[in-house]
Amino acid sequence: MSHGDVESTRDTRKSEDQRSLSLGGPKADDFWRAVSKIAVLQICESVGYERFKESALEALTDISIGYLCDLGKNASFHANLAGRTECNLFDVTRALEDLGASHGFSGASEIGNCLVGSGTVREMVQFVDSKEEIPFAQPVPKFPVVRHRKLIPSFEHMNETPPGKHIPSWLPAFPDPHTYIHTPMWNERASDPCADKIEQARQRRKAERALLSLQQRLVCNGSTGTSASMVVDAKKGKMHEAGSNPFLVAPLQPGEKDMSQVVFPAKLSDEVSKGNHVSVLEAFASAIEAMKDGPSNELYGEKTLLPEKRPAVHFNFRTGKKLLGQSIDLSLLKKGEKRTTLFLSDEERDDKKRRAEFILRQTTEYPMELNQS
Amino acid sequence: MNHNQQSGDAKNDDDSALSDFLASLMDYTPAIPDELVEHYLAKSGFQCPDVRLIRLVAVATQKFVAEVASDALQHCKARQAAVIKDKREKQQKDKHLILTMDDLSKSLLEYGVNVQHQDYFADDPSTGRDPASREE
Repeated sequence: MSHGDVESTRDTRKSEDQRSLSLGGPKADDFWRAVSKIAVLQICESVGYERFKESALEALTDISIGYLCDLGKNASFHANLAGRTECNLFDVTRALEDLGASHGFSGASEIGNCLVGSGTVREMVQFVDSKEEIPFAQPVPKFPVVRHRKLIPSFEHMNETPPGKHIPSWLPAFPDPHTYIHTPMWNERASDPCADKIEQARQRRKAERALLSLQQRLVCNGSTGTSASMVVDAKKGKMHEAGSNPFLVAPLQPGEKDMSQVVFPAKLSDEVSKGNHVSVLEAFASAIEAMKDGPSNELYGEKTLLPEKRPAVHFNFRTGKKLLGQSIDLSLLKKGEKRTTLFLSDEERDDKKRRAEFILRQTTEYPMELNQS
Repeated sequence: MNHNQQSGDAKNDDDSALSDFLASLMDYTPAIPDELVEHYLAKSGFQCPDVRLIRLVAVATQKFVAEVASDALQHCKARQAAVIKDKREKQQKDKHLILTMDDLSKSLLEYGVNVQHQDYFADDPSTGRDPASREE
């Protein structure tokens, strides 16, 4: 004999979660069914069972729910028979006797005796006395959940008079006219497209500056130990480069700068510990320099400034040192291409696009450098 | 006269016992929570504001389920005892007590509920026969 998973009682398949999803979705009854399943499980555990077959548990749950409903139906029937709508103890006792008649209880065959002394009630008393309490495993939440709907206020509530005499004041009020009457809109502000563009460009530059400074700070955080030495070397390298190639202008010449603070080679050698602070200034300085110089300067930092007019550029980089994390990659790139997309000219690209691209490149390169160092 | 008096005394005893019982019900927490019982009773038309009656119905249902489960347990233990008797050398396959459809259907039959499954294989001459006449 095998039982598998088929239940032979009523159609109880919908009580399963998986199956209910395919047949009409979960119903409100499923909640109570699940709760009763837990209760039945606990009762069976108290009786002595350790494990349960799913199908058997489902069947027992169905039967116990049916028993409960039968009790209620019977009790209400007896109450209605006596001309009442509310059930009392005697109705329940009669219902218990009806349901227990098949199994038998003491005093079942007697007729006309008072229900107070009924055998079923005595059995109940014995049951309660013998069994210990089984508290329910979890608190049962309130179901169904009551949602308070926000009603449309009435005319009275809104202190409005209904627009017609035939409309009573306790009905919901009409919607406000602005919700259904369309009125034209005028743009009252005078727009100056030229000024707007300038303002936009200014804000963009501000944002880019902030982003660059952040990146510089991040780079310096990653390579704090070498920043001073790198800077010093870079400075030396710059001097050398400047001597050999007059077109490689270092951005750190004091005469060209607006900011008086930017004498940072000396500053850097003095304040090795303030790596972050210096790098921020440095970043600002280089950014301003780049902006002042216009679109020809792509690279920031001390290493390189490429004039756009030179098709092929050769840089004298020290391969062993990382100058603010940029040198090695760029040298490799430059060797390959004369005019790459990295170095953009005004004729080819928009100012904004160039900056955006540069920032993106910075973000991709810096983490790689940091990892390597 | 005596008979009436005696029955009167008995009634009083029953009354007091019942009222005590109902009072004690408020302390006893049935395994079936009150909200569940209220929901299903409301569904069947049972109207009663008294909580003690709700508890009484809950206890009655709990008693019913416990009786069915204990009967099924008896069947399960009897089956395990029979297995042990037959194969004493070999180990017991199932030490645990598992609620199966088999035991449940047997115990529910006594309560007038038929949840028996049809046999899947008709490999035995006794398949399809009334279980009372069948030999286990």
